[in-house]
Amino acid sequence: MISLNVNNTNYSVDVDPATPLLWVLRDILGLTGTKYGCGIEVCGACTVMIDGQREHSCVFDVSSAAGKKVVTIEGLSPDNSHPAQEAWIKHQVPQCGYCQPGMIMACASAMEAGHYGDEILSEMKHICICGTYARIKDAVREL
Amino acid sequence: MTMTTLTSTLPTDEIAATLATEKLNRRGFLKFSANGLALAFALPLLGRSDAADAAITTQELANAYIHISPIGTISLAFGGAEMGQGSMSGLAQILAEELMVDWAQISVVQALANPVISYTTGGSSAVSRRYTTLRTAGAAARELLVAAAMQETGDTNRDNFKAANAKIFYVPDAQIWWEYGELASAAAGMTLPADLRLTSPADFRLIGKPLPRVDIPAKVDGSAKFGLDIFLPGMVFAAIKHCPTIGGTLKSMPAKPSGAIAVVACTASHTRGSVIAGSKNAVAVVASNTWLASRLAKKMSVSWSLPLSTANVDSAQILAYAQGQLGNGVALVAEPTPPATYTPQTFAPVIQADVANAMGTPTIDATYTVPYLAHATMEVLNCTVHIVYSGTAPVSCEIWAPTQSATAVAANAALLTQLPTTAITVHTTFLGGGLGRKIEQDYIWQAIEVAMAVRKPVKLTWMREEDFGHDQYRPLGLTRVKAKLAGGKIQAWSYRTVSQSITAQRGRLKAGSVDSQAIEGAIHLPYELGNYLVEWVPLDAGVPVGYWRSVGASINTFAVESMMDELAKAAAIDPFTFRYNHFKSEDSRALATLQAADLLSSSWRKQLPAGRAWGVAIAQAFGTWVCEVVEISQPAAGTLRIHRVDCVVDCGTVINPSSVEAQMQGSILHGLNATLWGDAVFKAGVATKLNFNSNRVMRLTEMPAVRVQIIPSTNPPSGIGEPGVPPLAPALANAYARLTGTRIRKLPFFPNATMGGI
Repeated sequence: MISLNVNNTNYSVDVDPATPLLWVLRDILGLTGTKYGCGIEVCGACTVMIDGQREHSCVFDVSSAAGKKVVTIEGLSPDNSHPAQEAWIKHQVPQCGYCQPGMIMACASAMEAGHYGDEILSEMKHICICGTYARIKDAVREL
Repeated sequence: MTMTTLTSTLPTDEIAATLATEKLNRRGFLKFSANGLALAFALPLLGRSDAADAAITTQELANAYIHISPIGTISLAFGGAEMGQGSMSGLAQILAEELMVDWAQISVVQALANPVISYTTGGSSAVSRRYTTLRTAGAAARELLVAAAMQETGDTNRDNFKAANAKIFYVPDAQIWWEYGELASAAAGMTLPADLRLTSPADFRLIGKPLPRVDIPAKVDGSAKFGLDIFLPGMVFAAIKHCPTIGGTLKSMPAKPSGAIAVVACTASHTRGSVIAGSKNAVAVVASNTWLASRLAKKMSVSWSLPLSTANVDSAQILAYAQGQLGNGVALVAEPTPPATYTPQTFAPVIQADVANAMGTPTIDATYTVPYLAHATMEVLNCTVHIVYSGTAPVSCEIWAPTQSATAVAANAALLTQLPTTAITVHTTFLGGGLGRKIEQDYIWQAIEVAMAVRKPVKLTWMREEDFGHDQYRPLGLTRVKAKLAGGKIQAWSYRTVSQSITAQRGRLKAGSVDSQAIEGAIHLPYELGNYLVEWVPLDAGVPVGYWRSVGASINTFAVESMMDELAKAAAIDPFTFRYNHFKSEDSRALATLQAADLLSSSWRKQLPAGRAWGVAIAQAFGTWVCEVVEISQPAAGTLRIHRVDCVVDCGTVINPSSVEAQMQGSILHGLNATLWGDAVFKAGVATKLNFNSNRVMRLTEMPAVRVQIIPSTNPPSGIGEPGVPPLAPALANAYARLTGTRIRKLPFFPNATMGGI
């Protein structure tokens, strides 16, 4: 059994320790806000925060998350009140919306590290196929 | 304004039961009482002609409805697909306008397909083709409420009643007014007035305003449910493994790997083409989670029967064959249309002779090549199915799918399970991108087959490598254009395009007829071309092809607008001016769009720094004109930097300008990805680029500045999802030719680009 703390809730999961955290979140805990995009750390859709750091959960072994604090999009705020979420709504960023949890988590972790505006953007090399990039830039430049 | 899955006041089962049996009246409505007022109607359908739509007013089953409950909840049932294009909001915006309610007072409910309340989303038609129908329906519901108020007062003068803010006001007495909810039940019993009084566009409160989209809050907190997010109690997880060689089939059933729950053979659906359809071309491994299923599937050794030849699924061989077909293939005339006095057979030689005569030696004779392209939706293909059994017999089937056609999903479920359609429920989830890929049924079939085999709720996922490797690709296209200039004007134009027909591959194209999608963007050009001929040569190849955002226009606009630029250069005339000189007088919208783009970009184009260049292209697709002007530089050999794209769009009446802007921004990115890097390559039947590391796309940090200007218009609305894609490729190639003197006629610019991790 592996003990996890996700969004301030403790879980015990019985799973191959090499299972990527992404699939434990999605298929075992039912926390489906974190997305699968490529499985090879290229797209960023699976981004979560682990002990305040941005991580790609698609390649992060669940066993390595034991004893750490994992924050997913569901745990970012109870009511869409994180400044990044507010900026995303104000600028009407999402189209299909699939990559946005990863984008927002990357943005939030950069904010956590004390970065602002273009500094944050320079760390967000994520892929969006819909083309929300321009509005993400507008949203992030307010942060 | 909210987006809900189901509201408690909405008697969905009762409504569905009525809609499944009751026909529309001769005016195209079905009104009935169901915890308030339900007004059902039929939205125009994709693939059905305007004439057929005009005839749907009688004896048709409804595919949409409005519901107003006694407590005043106002809901629009949305039977389409929300894949990012904003149609869910756009439709509600139109309805709210005519219903005289505020944006905050209306809810959108994603309807179930069982199988009545749904339709296929595609062709950039989701909102534009439904504009009038929805306005009329909104007005009809409003007038039924007014009629109920008239009955209460006994006053039969319609002018004494005013609808606003979801209330009916009695004008002669300010003390008398009703909430819509108070009138809803009575309204269901009223007779629809003859005069439905549509709102004058000058009085629009909501149409044309950048209202916030209903789906966005759920898309920033992780609560939006895409297909991949469906999570059911007791569910199991399946990963698909196709025969890597397209056209190959399962030779023998592999043993179930240790750790797996099951292995299931899967059948190719009809959408994969008539040659492949019906074959067992994949197996699904079922396990306790998706990652485990995918690992087991990857490691599992499967023996496949490979096709005798893979020549027709090999990029190099297909290209060589297409080049031959360009010269020797049987060409079908796409335009001009033969006059009544000719048959197509006698017409072709005459027009060919006329064009050859006018052409003499062409000023330019160029062949433009575009490759197969994958869709690469961010959400991979997936489908969740729960079939309930009684003993060995299925009793009901419930499906959750990111699909552009819940109607087709329901029909396929009925076919595979042999259940009546009344026992089948399809939930359309949010789509993590559709782009034309999720109209197909291959992944749906597989999931149903797996659910039938394991008899548990199951979610089937295509891991990214399967999604790239077994797409239904944008067809490869080769186009040879010859044109003759005289005095700066085109006097002859010969256009011949070779491409695989999506329709023909599915056995639905009449032999000897032109596939209308293959020539989108090649005909009805806005230009005077002198003696001209547009021909299409069908290409018989085995790559499964499908509808990729903008379909044939993505092939042909590259050829047409590149050629226009080459001719402008040959004539030593500015590319804008050259186009102005060739516009047909009746194409005033093309002219106005180009002029607006000219003006919008003129300040920066006229003071370009050294080392930069611009390119322009304009095209119409799905009724919408789009012109794009691109600014580029080349920091080093083999690189390209896109600095900006100016975009002007004329899509007729605008429903939501913010959505139009977003769709243009998205189409431009889609065009950039395809033009710079997009290239699905097949070697001996096997797709070679299987993840984003070999399918380079633009990252956020690389995105150029995009400005979108919308031309004000009172014309009927036209599509916005796709028309922004086609002009990008030629605009970029035209800029590149201006910058470097080198003309790129074969896409992509950088065929072997890769991407690293982040």
